[in-house]
Amino acid sequence: MSITSIIDRAKTDGRRTLTEIESKDILEEAGIPTAHARLATTADEAVAAAKEIGFPVALKIVSPDITHKSDIGGVKLNLTTPDEVKAAFDEIVAAAMKAQPDATIDGVSVQKMARPGIEVIMGMSQDAQFGPVLMFGLGGILVEVLKDVSFRLVPITPRDARQMVQEIKGRPLLEGYRGQEPADVEALEKLLLRLSDFIEKHPEIAELDLNPIFAYKDGAIAVDARIILS
Amino acid sequence: MSDIVSRLERVLNPRSVAVVGDKRAMGYFWLRNMSTFKGKLYSVQIDPNEIPGILELGVSNYAGLLDIPDEIDYVVCAVPRPVAPRIVADCVAKKVGGVSLFTSGFAETGEEEGIRLQEQTASTAREGGLILIGPNCMGIYNRRLGVRQAMDQPSGDEGDVGFIAHSGTHAINFSLLGAAHGVKISKSVSAGNCAVVTPADYLEYMAQDAETKVIGMYLEGMQEGRRFFDILKRTTPLKPVVVWKGGAFEGGRRAMFSHTGALATSSTAWQALTKQCGVISVDSLDEMVDVMKALLFAKPATGRRMGLVALTGGQSVVITDAFERAGLDVPLLSDRSYAELSTFFDVIGGSYRNPLDAGGTLGFGAVPENLARMLRVLDADERIDAVAVEVSPRMMSRRMPGAQSPVDWLPDMLAAHKERSTKPLFAILHPMDLEAFAAQERQKYVERGIPTFSGFDQVARAFAKVVEYRRFVAEMSQ
Repeated sequence: MSITSIIDRAKTDGRRTLTEIESKDILEEAGIPTAHARLATTADEAVAAAKEIGFPVALKIVSPDITHKSDIGGVKLNLTTPDEVKAAFDEIVAAAMKAQPDATIDGVSVQKMARPGIEVIMGMSQDAQFGPVLMFGLGGILVEVLKDVSFRLVPITPRDARQMVQEIKGRPLLEGYRGQEPADVEALEKLLLRLSDFIEKHPEIAELDLNPIFAYKDGAIAVDARIILS
Repeated sequence: MSDIVSRLERVLNPRSVAVVGDKRAMGYFWLRNMSTFKGKLYSVQIDPNEIPGILELGVSNYAGLLDIPDEIDYVVCAVPRPVAPRIVADCVAKKVGGVSLFTSGFAETGEEEGIRLQEQTASTAREGGLILIGPNCMGIYNRRLGVRQAMDQPSGDEGDVGFIAHSGTHAINFSLLGAAHGVKISKSVSAGNCAVVTPADYLEYMAQDAETKVIGMYLEGMQEGRRFFDILKRTTPLKPVVVWKGGAFEGGRRAMFSHTGALATSSTAWQALTKQCGVISVDSLDEMVDVMKALLFAKPATGRRMGLVALTGGQSVVITDAFERAGLDVPLLSDRSYAELSTFFDVIGGSYRNPLDAGGTLGFGAVPENLARMLRVLDADERIDAVAVEVSPRMMSRRMPGAQSPVDWLPDMLAAHKERSTKPLFAILHPMDLEAFAAQERQKYVERGIPTFSGFDQVARAFAKVVEYRRFVAEMSQ
């Protein structure tokens, strides 16, 4: 589905939060690589999807009402067999129903386990005076603890993208700290520019998180994504 | 020229001014502010008790704006709040260029009636195509034309700094402190509550105003943030914009659902904007003036390597600390420089690694030529980008009473050096315990276009910010 039809459908449903699958579909169309996810509504569908994608896979709850998926046990990673997938499906749905009994549950997303990389975050929020503000930083679950992030107003220039990446304290991690694989900084800068362009074209988007993005020595991929409409 | 710019052009360069509601109890504040105005000045006052005092000032008085037999470019409205909406309506009917509402008691009070009256007045102005400055403001200052916000503001000659301030106090104080340091205003606006015309509008005007070379702003809030960002982005590659931001902008923050939203604070967007636009941020009135001096009176440079001249060992240590603290470098000089310095430098009571501890060489029995030689060495050294010289009038006058005092020959010597050199040159005039003496000495430097500073940290911080700005411009023009 196209960006506009996904957004229209959410509006018709009266939803402000797009699901992970919807968010990733939109971002893919905008030229931002994501770990593509498929929706499974039963355990058997999840197993079938996993077989088709290839193991290992990750399963995540898909619900417009649940935004912090890992906090409620809605994420299972590195599943290597059909039995593990089946069990994970049931556990995720049970955990979600327990944590938020009123939540609408669309199902569970199945995606290929992305090869681990350096975890970064990109996102956007709105400032009351200056409109959309783009963010870059070290990502993953520690982002709100470390707060190692940089901001620029949308639209950004290549100079801004370069500075956003250079500005964070954890920059040595991106350069291949102690023999680790370095991050493709150029790919990250390109991603920021594409994101800025995408945000400028879609003022109906209020907030956005790509967290984590796995950065490799050759490219980067958004493993999780969330889009909130205004 | 955009519509708003051409309308502001008329208001900020008025040929005729009318003051409405000035009175004895205010000491005829506004009419006296306008006593230096080069165009035609009129008064509007209906109170018969006030009119004789106005006529004594030599100003023609009328019962209403519409009675004045002349076009009016700029009106200062000093009437009580309930009368203000009627005066603004008269301004529209008279087709005046713009009006400043000195009148206060509007939205700044936070009370319902004030907010209502501001909205009413603003919509009258908007519908009538009237430039409304304020309310709750001190209006405009045009130094060349003698239109003033305060009667002690200088007038008659041109300036080169455009100033925009939410606060009238800061607008006036900057014009006075700046003037004492040779920083002259071209046009200044006390913008008040910005009910109609916003900082973005004033910035757009200053950006294209040929008389204005540098722009300063004191901001407490923001209207039209996106437009401000767009105009600023276009302005800074051409003219430096120095911003002193008071308080925190009201974010009007909504509930945030994302990590990104949780991490952004009310100052996030502003800080991002200053980086993107190459804005020079300052934290005080003094720093504003210091940065302006470094922008206006020092040769432009993008290098960070300082050549320093101090008068004693103790000062050599702390001048180095100050520049390094500000992120500038104090490197060793070239071999050629050391060879040249060794021919005349007195190393008893001095040294010349960098800083040049010149006390011994200069001090007792000072030879003007020795300082000139030091400056020439630093000027020729390819490892040095800019030069700062300690001028301690108190110490110099103590050591060198009489005709040969460096206090007398230094300003001319530094001016001659500046003329020849391509590198920025700064003088530090420590007031020490003699504020008045330092201020009197400073005038000699101001007259010769040498930027002076009251301390090492002040010049180091100001110059570091200006270098950052020059590098931003260089990067933008690539």
